Amino acid sequence: MANMAVSRIKREFKEVMRSEEIVQCSIKIELINDSWTELRGEIAGPPDTPYEGGKFILEIKVPETYPFNPPKVRFITKIWHPNISSVTGAICLDILKDNWAAAMTLRTVLLSLQALLAAAEPDDPQDAVVAYQYKDKYPLFLMTAKHWTNVYAGGPHKFTECDLKIQRLKDMGIDEHDARAVLSKENWDLEKATESLFS
Amino acid sequence: MSTSATLAPTIGAGGGVPAAEMSNIMSNLSADDSPTAVSRAQTGMPVNTAICRYFQRGLCRFGDMCRFSHDLNGGDVIHISGNEGDAIKPSTSSKSNARSEYLNSRPSTSRQNWINAPIFVPKSHRSKYPIEEVSDAYACEGAAGLGPINAEIQKSWADVVGGDNVAQRMNTVEGADAEAMLAMICPFEGPCPYGAFCAYGIHMELCKMCDQFCLHPSDQTQRRKHNQECLQQHEQAMEWSFAIARSKDKTCGICFDTIMEKAGREKRFGILPNCNHIFCLECIRKWRQAKQFEHKITRSCPECRVSSDFVCPSAFWVETKEEKDKLLSDYRLALGVKDCKYFKKGDGKCPFGNKCFYKHALPNGELVDVGCPKRARKLHRGSNDFIDLLDIYLWEFVEQRDYHWLDFLSGTSDDSDDSDFSED
Repeated sequence: MANMAVSRIKREFKEVMRSEEIVQCSIKIELINDSWTELRGEIAGPPDTPYEGGKFILEIKVPETYPFNPPKVRFITKIWHPNISSVTGAICLDILKDNWAAAMTLRTVLLSLQALLAAAEPDDPQDAVVAYQYKDKYPLFLMTAKHWTNVYAGGPHKFTECDLKIQRLKDMGIDEHDARAVLSKENWDLEKATESLFS
Repeated sequence: MSTSATLAPTIGAGGGVPAAEMSNIMSNLSADDSPTAVSRAQTGMPVNTAICRYFQRGLCRFGDMCRFSHDLNGGDVIHISGNEGDAIKPSTSSKSNARSEYLNSRPSTSRQNWINAPIFVPKSHRSKYPIEEVSDAYACEGAAGLGPINAEIQKSWADVVGGDNVAQRMNTVEGADAEAMLAMICPFEGPCPYGAFCAYGIHMELCKMCDQFCLHPSDQTQRRKHNQECLQQHEQAMEWSFAIARSKDKTCGICFDTIMEKAGREKRFGILPNCNHIFCLECIRKWRQAKQFEHKITRSCPECRVSSDFVCPSAFWVETKEEKDKLLSDYRLALGVKDCKYFKKGDGKCPFGNKCFYKHALPNGELVDVGCPKRARKLHRGSNDFIDLLDIYLWEFVEQRDYHWLDFLSGTSDDSDDSDFSED
């Protein structure tokens, strides 16, 4: 790995460690291997959003050409968000793609992701289904997002109604996550979900 | 014989050489083929370009007759005074004008003067001959002996080399005269250990500002000039240290390194004209040359996204607008001195026309206005946006070629970087 990338990541690591956000527990970063190429980030769901109270884990891969190319970032924690794939965790954020700037750091990337959670851009979606729900059935979107935050990120809001429906599908031999994904997609319509699972 | 006398080497000049030794040298020289000597003197250039080893050490007994080069700078030939009489003649009041002119025409610190002194006098010569003997030598050789002979020699030179060269030769003699005055200055830094017995007539006084012995005891113009220079140097040093102070803890926004702590050529700032964010030259150049992003992204500052047309290299950080404006205009000026590699002094065609930063001049030095550049437009990503390719490529052209602008300014130009130019 290129020298500059390593030395910069080391510095950024320290920067994140010293930052205010770490004191407030809103972002966190840790090493995965000794080569400084892979890191694990963690961001707290921002307040007044369906993600509040959740902790979202991110996979950060630093390219050799860093900081002239953006780090590759993806959500490991499952999340229901128009700009994040509910399947792969891939993120649609301009600064991680063609709007990257060499002066950006891991800290600014993590803060940008936090901001993305607070302000979704349904018109530039990564997950079309989620974006559709966000635009068309916002209350349902809120519930789904809170439910996912609760299940995957340790959020506080529990939805027994959702859990019951998932249990019904699980009884039919469906994997829990698949059941949740299908139900979320079908706006928690059990009938439609079953239909799409078995058709 | 007379010809070789003019060209007689200047061994021991200023310090005085016994007449016997002088004549010995002269007779040695007279054995030389004198037509050759004349032709050499005519051209004023030694035949061999290798630098004379003796001259390098400060003393070559052959002077202008030497078959090796006495040209240490590779530029103008350093003329060794061929006139024994002039060289050792004590200063007279009529010569003082020439001397002060000469002194004023060059930096006045004694150290430099000493190095540039036309005649090197080894210590042994001076200590060997006490002052009385030296003055004897002056009397017989300088004033009485060689003076008139020189005049005669001038005539014979005129016969040989023609009008132009006579004038030239006369000038050289005058120059040598002034240099001889210079030779009267005692080369010792500090109080001369020989005191009153010193063979040199002039002992420079201590300048309190630069702590060097370089103030002429009587020449007021020289003293004023030196004081001015000292003050100027002091101001420059102050500016320099301020520049270092404001630059030393600046870190690059891309590599995060402290720029002044980087090694060698990487220790340079890349100044963006339209914003005040700090980058090292290497990093900002690399960013701006990145091909994976749109030009709009890479042309803009990585911190604030304000677009700048080019990056200006700088050894120091510029804080104020005045400093920055001066830097940028200096940069443009420095580029404007160099010939455009596309224009090729009229043989080629520069795609940037009169927008080009470089000089468009014909071989005779005449500047040419090549007019507006041709617009090269390209349909941008299928949309209807046209981007002006010219702007983009012009700035790239400048940046890749002038990696070494700073070296160029500081006079240690390194041509290896010219290969940057061929990248595109």
